[in-house]
Amino acid sequence: ASNQNMSVPDTETIDKVHFVVNNLSTQNMDDKAAEVKARLGEHQWPWFAIYLVVKRASIEPNFHALYLGLLDAINDKGLFRLVLDASYNNIKTLLSSNKVKTNSGERSLLKNLGSWLGQLTISRNQPVLMRDLDLKGLILEAYQTGHMIAVIPFIAKVLEPAKDSIIFKPPNPWTTNVLALLKEIYSERDLKLNLKFEMERLFKHLDCEIKEWKCSNLLYARQRERAGNPDFVADKNPPAMAP
Amino acid sequence: VINLMEELTLKGITQYYAFVEEKQKVHCLNTLFSKLQINQSIIFCNSVNRVELLAKKITELGYSCFYIHAKMLQSHRNRVFHDFRNGACRNLVSSDLFTRGIDIQSVNVVINFDFPKNSETYLHRVGRSGRFGHLGISVNLITYDDRFNLFRIEQELGTEIQQIPPVIDPSVYCR
Repeated sequence: ASNQNMSVPDTETIDKVHFVVNNLSTQNMDDKAAEVKARLGEHQWPWFAIYLVVKRASIEPNFHALYLGLLDAINDKGLFRLVLDASYNNIKTLLSSNKVKTNSGERSLLKNLGSWLGQLTISRNQPVLMRDLDLKGLILEAYQTGHMIAVIPFIAKVLEPAKDSIIFKPPNPWTTNVLALLKEIYSERDLKLNLKFEMERLFKHLDCEIKEWKCSNLLYARQRERAGNPDFVADKNPPAMAP
Repeated sequence: VINLMEELTLKGITQYYAFVEEKQKVHCLNTLFSKLQINQSIIFCNSVNRVELLAKKITELGYSCFYIHAKMLQSHRNRVFHDFRNGACRNLVSSDLFTRGIDIQSVNVVINFDFPKNSETYLHRVGRSGRFGHLGISVNLITYDDRFNLFRIEQELGTEIQQIPPVIDPSVYCR
């Protein structure tokens, strides 16, 4: 849904929705879901989806399960799709802004949305489609442009729920291949320790042994930025003479 | 007696007051909960009795809330606090029993439904015990009788409590 023709509710309705979400808990889930349904018409779902993603899920990771519970209780396929779209849109906005490279606040929003996306998709045995978000492509691009500081923690959060998914648990080939690319990057010399830790943590979470994982062979054709690349230790210095 | 106030900070907390009459307080609370973006909140009252009355009142109004006060059994208090910390409910109505400041990161809004009488109590309610205070706001409901206390506490703590504006930018208390 585009923002231009989105129907924004009147102030009174917005206030009521804020009140409901501010007071949502597992105990009152059904009542609050019924209230949201009664207050908002279908034409206002796009507004609600964006509100839930931008103002809530991206900032309040502690209540992800609660907000997913609300979506389940409202039980509207159209709304669910709108929330998914809003999530992808927001993730892309964050990824395309250069701020994630320098601003840890922006990175934590991205990480929170990664966790949210993982629970909307992988946890429910639904794929992250390439046309929505190409994870491998994203990692490769981040490798080249020095965005891994933001992208790797995001990817790890998206993949975390694969642990308990009967579909996406390794040896699922999609998961396996993303992990293989991570392993290939992991094996690069001078990769920053925090990125290594992030990868080790993900493998361990998925009960996978990073040392024995097979590497992909995708980096040979890729040049990473050498100047000012925060993802590699050596690259902080000016590029050395070619051997 | 150890004075723990040294460890409490108001850093990162934006403080507001709203001038109200006693009978407008609940209405004011409703407005706050319709306008703010609240992860979790703690609402302070000045007496055990008022804690129970307010919690009952706002539960009827559809709030998600627990209450906790000094006259409850310690085991019961622990249970309530533990559940609140785990997000089982969104808001906690409380008397003065947090002696080292609030150390729950997700609490981004503290409301003094009743304004405290002295600066030490104010600091214990609103101040954060973490070395890095997380972002948050405090909203103080001030009646005519509280006006001198407000001025004195501001002076004693060397801090500024502003009148609440019509709109509060989420970036001062969310994240």
